[in-house]
Amino acid sequence: MNCNNSGKTYMVTLEGTRQMNLDKIIILLKQGKHIREDCVYSLCIQAQELLMNESNVTHVDTPVTICGDIHGQLHDLLTLFEKSGGVEKSRYIFLGDFVDRGFYSLESFLLLLCYKLRYPDRITLIRGNHETRQITKVYGFYDEIMRKYGNSNVWRYCCEVFDYLSLGAIINERVFCIHGGLSPDITTIDEIRSIDRKQEVPHEGAMCDLLWSDPDEVDTWSLSPRGAGFLFGKGEVDQFLQTNNIELIARAHQLVMEGYKEMFDGGLVTVWSAPNYCYRCGNVAAVLTIDGQLERSYTIFDAVQSQNGMGHTIIPTKKPQMDYFL
Amino acid sequence: MAEKRDIRRGPGIRTVEINAARQVHARTVRARIPIDIGAIDSQEPATSTAISAPRFVQPALPQSSRQPSAAHSHVRHTCNNPRNPPCAHCGTMIVPSPVATLPLEDHPSLTINNWTISTKKKPILNSQELEDWENNKLKGLTLPEMIFGNSFVRIQEKTRNWSIEFNALDALREVKLKDSGIRVSYSKKWMDSKQQKQRQQQRLSIALGSSQPLSDIDDSALQIARHYDWTYTTKYKGTETSGSKKYKFKKDDSQTLPIDKLARPDHILFYDDMILFEDELADNGISIFNIKIRVMNERLLLLSRFFLRVDDVLIRVVDTRIVVEFDENKVIREYKEMEGDYKTLLTKHKMSHSHDPKAALRDSNWVAANIPLITRECEILNLNDPN
Ligand SMILES: [Mn+2]
Repeated sequence: MNCNNSGKTYMVTLEGTRQMNLDKIIILLKQGKHIREDCVYSLCIQAQELLMNESNVTHVDTPVTICGDIHGQLHDLLTLFEKSGGVEKSRYIFLGDFVDRGFYSLESFLLLLCYKLRYPDRITLIRGNHETRQITKVYGFYDEIMRKYGNSNVWRYCCEVFDYLSLGAIINERVFCIHGGLSPDITTIDEIRSIDRKQEVPHEGAMCDLLWSDPDEVDTWSLSPRGAGFLFGKGEVDQFLQTNNIELIARAHQLVMEGYKEMFDGGLVTVWSAPNYCYRCGNVAAVLTIDGQLERSYTIFDAVQSQNGMGHTIIPTKKPQMDYFL
Repeated sequence: MAEKRDIRRGPGIRTVEINAARQVHARTVRARIPIDIGAIDSQEPATSTAISAPRFVQPALPQSSRQPSAAHSHVRHTCNNPRNPPCAHCGTMIVPSPVATLPLEDHPSLTINNWTISTKKKPILNSQELEDWENNKLKGLTLPEMIFGNSFVRIQEKTRNWSIEFNALDALREVKLKDSGIRVSYSKKWMDSKQQKQRQQQRLSIALGSSQPLSDIDDSALQIARHYDWTYTTKYKGTETSGSKKYKFKKDDSQTLPIDKLARPDHILFYDDMILFEDELADNGISIFNIKIRVMNERLLLLSRFFLRVDDVLIRVVDTRIVVEFDENKVIREYKEMEGDYKTLLTKHKMSHSHDPKAALRDSNWVAANIPLITRECEILNLNDPN
């Protein structure tokens, strides 16, 4: 096992052994192999200790690559790293929604955790609205764990990590990263720092808004017709940019066919990193790299595909069963 | 702004992943082949063998013993798209084979006598198309997250120039541009907390003698900006076109679908299943509009289903079934609306079985069989004798 692949030489110490184990787990995860329950437990405990020390809004330096929703699409996550330099060389911010919908929520989340433990200063993980107990019970992650382990322990360990994830990040004091969007209760980024984040995402309040709200063509803060959740418009974005002296809000949370979408004269961008979402949307994915001059560059990538014997490519679908429906 | 756009294939995926992908693919293809279910498991390719040449389970040629002999001796259909083999009278059914490189597209088609059945599958709408739909075609509607706006299912009768088609645009045109009255389960709690916060800050603001409000939320923030039915409930029954006015459906609720004939395991010549639109309702459930079609030698059945689940609130199913009897040139259309309270349904399922009762509420078939029927209508169109 090579312990030097991060560019530094490690002495064979306790720390060295830990890194060696992490490297092994990373290899297994990339192959989609089963990780033992006790091993997941130990990873989750280590991750909690690490994340506990991060503030609600983490400072990150350029250059950095911002990634949107992953949703358990492990193979596409591997493509993402491959196309954007890899964690050995580049810095990353993930905007949340690692789990649910896709077939490999656990492997995707654990891979990111392993990278976080292995290269703590190169990867920042932000909480998405799917990183909660309630949502994962309905949208696939819980079911996946029950299928893979026969019990819910691993799901519980992961949910405990969710509670420690940061709520946002700020790049060079100029680019604000968040999963969903703004909140009427939050005027300055400093106000986010006073939120007690170590809890299940509540159904209301600033923490909820930051993870759930959406930009829209509205004149002011407005209520979603669903009866909960905020929409915000250009006015709110401009004001937030000005108050906090920043130039961009980078968020995820909404599917975009082209992988990214800039709005409000470039003051806000939605980044989406799950190509062919749910294995059937046919969209491409994107990541956004911010360089030292705060220039933006988007890298677009396509879904991993399997080919059939006749040279045709077929997308795995969730429900392809031909049946004698009535 | 620099833009790096690269959607070429990468250097390839690992063997293990390829094998996993192959299994998924093999399962996908096999699932489309009308063979008895018992034979499926034994064909699973071995996971551990890393093989260089792709080894796929080819669609099995139908064994004549399995086929109803009548159907085979009387072949009368043609496959219209060579990209969707194999159907050389009749290797087996038509296997829709979407090309997954962008633009993803699949357009299988089949003709039986004077009837042509075709489907088209394309990816979700891009931003430009969405803008056009939002600003022009469907003005006033905030569009669902996923719209397969270039996909369709079409049934055509050529000699009389009659056809019926199912597409997303026409389905969404029937979504009401007014408040549905439906709210997510925690809406009241959410609103109360916001109102409370508002009042608190007003009091604080007065106490401080400030003329400026301390919070961004004023009364308008708790108002709905745009009214439309966010559940995307649609009563769409298909889009008809006809060369002549006499070819119109006639309402006759006494008609029933030939369930006995449809339940027969007649050889399926063409099968497709597609979503026209879908929305995850911001993780409050699902709203999905889906079409399934199967074509046999003597008739076809199409099922268009709108399925809505608002978690902890309600469940709704709108089904349209179309049966075409090819020899009689007869079309029957049955329309049903069903709706039930979420908790009542959950209780109903809890009594029956299962450790995960909510799984049943995600299964539209179970739901459709278990919720109260609100409306049923039936129409008939006899193309041989329209009057
Ligand atoms: Mn999200």
